[in-house]
Amino acid sequence: MTLSRMFYLYKRLYIQQLKAILEYNKDFYILMCSAALTQVLGFVFLWVIYDRIPDINGWQFWEVTFMYAMIFLTEGMGSLFFEGTWRLGRLVNQGELDRYLLRPVPVVLQVFCTGIGINGLGNLLIGGVIIWQSLVHSHIQWSFAKVVILILLLLTAVIIRVSINLAGNSAAFWIRNAGNAFPLMVHNLADLAKYPVTLFPQAVRVFISTVLPYAFISFYPATYIFGKSGWSGWWMLAPVVAAGSAAAAYGIFRYGLSKYESTGN
Amino acid sequence: MSIIEARGLSKSFMQAVKEPGLAGAVKHLFIPKHIEKIAVQPLNLSVEAGETVAYVGPNGAGKSTTIKMLTGILMPSAGSISVNGINPYKKRMENAAQIGAVFGQRTQLWWDIPIVESFSLLKDIYQIPEPVYKANLDQFTELLGMNEFIHLSARKLSLGQRMRADLAAALLHNPPILYLDEPTIGLDVSVKQKIREFIKKINQEQQTTVMLTTHDLGDIEDLCKRLIIIDHGSIIYDGSLSEVKSRFARNRVIFFQVGVPMPELYNLLSQTPGMKLDRQNEQEFSVSFDRYEYTASEVVSRVMKHGEVIDFRMEDANIEQVIKAVYDGNLDLNQKGE
Ligand SMILES: Nc1ncnc2c1ncn2[C@@H]1O[C@H](COP(=O)(O)OP(=O)(O)OP(=O)(O)O)[C@@H](O)[C@H]1O
Ligand SMILES: [Mg+2]
Repeated sequence: MTLSRMFYLYKRLYIQQLKAILEYNKDFYILMCSAALTQVLGFVFLWVIYDRIPDINGWQFWEVTFMYAMIFLTEGMGSLFFEGTWRLGRLVNQGELDRYLLRPVPVVLQVFCTGIGINGLGNLLIGGVIIWQSLVHSHIQWSFAKVVILILLLLTAVIIRVSINLAGNSAAFWIRNAGNAFPLMVHNLADLAKYPVTLFPQAVRVFISTVLPYAFISFYPATYIFGKSGWSGWWMLAPVVAAGSAAAAYGIFRYGLSKYESTGN
Repeated sequence: MSIIEARGLSKSFMQAVKEPGLAGAVKHLFIPKHIEKIAVQPLNLSVEAGETVAYVGPNGAGKSTTIKMLTGILMPSAGSISVNGINPYKKRMENAAQIGAVFGQRTQLWWDIPIVESFSLLKDIYQIPEPVYKANLDQFTELLGMNEFIHLSARKLSLGQRMRADLAAALLHNPPILYLDEPTIGLDVSVKQKIREFIKKINQEQQTTVMLTTHDLGDIEDLCKRLIIIDHGSIIYDGSLSEVKSRFARNRVIFFQVGVPMPELYNLLSQTPGMKLDRQNEQEFSVSFDRYEYTASEVVSRVMKHGEVIDFRMEDANIEQVIKAVYDGNLDLNQKGE
């Protein structure tokens, strides 16, 4: 199946889902606002800390804010466009994956479109605004290349985030009736990457750069944008990490799918 | 080569064994115990293009599991399948494009989307050419009487409406193969009839190969020429339906209505071996008999000797009793007929 056909099908399924959600979800605004509010609170918290300690390990307020916001933004993209990964547990346990397996459409694609987390819009907006603010407030020498690379890093960040979500949720194929506990834990580890990895012991640094490469969502892009010498060059691995994460996640998903047993009725 | 071909196909599931109660659940957490449940024993199956096959068996026999392997939902534990030359598990998408499937227990439709929109989504998914889509949509809407509910979302439909929509959805892309797993479960007589007529028509007009599981033997008699019976995961009969009927539906029943009661006949009949009398009232009764021992005319002439018969009718061989006897283990269809 060609890439353009996959995009087309994704769009078709997504829009149908959106229509259904707009029709049934009356708490749309509440969800969105509560998500936005949570992020603003986190931001205020950071601000309060930096009011007292203006520099953490050589990182300024707006620089950490950028990392913080990258985590929101990718989370927002994840819930807005790939929320379905979080439904995988239900799809597997209720045997609803049967329906997807009967259609000539990649199963992953159908899983992605299973739900839309409208609250992601809140994360996306606040994340976007804060990133923009942090870029404005940190005297950056802009060039065309820098803009292109920033966009590229945003893209790889989203890919890494979604891949980890998919891989984590694929646990549903092994852990039956377990709810979301495992993928949620994996997801929450992203909080580590809201801060400079230099704060953490070596083991944690390696962990969030390799096994769950959350650092490539926030920290390594920040080292590039804000020109942190000592880390120069590492960000270039982001596309490799993104491709690797995507491949690994897809592999885990496919392997899990081969374990899928449907249900007895 | 047959359109559906399975060799040594089997499937087993790991089923968790938990002792009852909280203690059992905790114990299972630390020392999980599983047993291997063999749902389908290695079996061979060939279905020719255009055939209508009934795949029946008691609850838990392995029917749905077989269908799920044939459709590519489940990976077989062992054995090979070829559907139109395609391995349904390895080439899932290619296979999906050439089959239609209805699982009566569960809808394939989008829950929150109006049926027409689901259909148009399917049109894009299966890349159905516009003229084909339009013709099919019009024809199906008409034949299945879907006009009254086609604008509602699946969640609002009654069971019978939903089943009709599901059937139409499975056939929009003119698949050469159609799998139906209990397509008439829980439906009223008239909707059942509609669905059967529809399937028959599709089979006749497009030579669609139909494989159907059901507990409604009316479906079988109406639709299927071939009968496959599976029990405890093994196929115990595979052959033509009419043969089963002629060989094993041995019991015939004749209903009589007579002018005056005939006590001595009643006495005589109830003492005749191989005949069974069942009296509805003074002037109406039925005689069931083994048609290998007596002919219908023998029975009728015997009754007429005793008095005036106003009316009589004969009931056709009944597949239901045969199947029931097989399920109960009282009949082996593979035994040689007398
Ligand atoms: N997902 C599953 N996990 C574990 N065991 C299963 C699963 N699906 C089916 N089984 C077992 O396999 C056996 C066959 O089930 P199957 O659903 O194929 O029966 P069936 O012939 O369709 O029965 P019915 O007429 O009740 O629908 C049953 O014993 C069932 O417990
Ligand atoms: Mg079944």
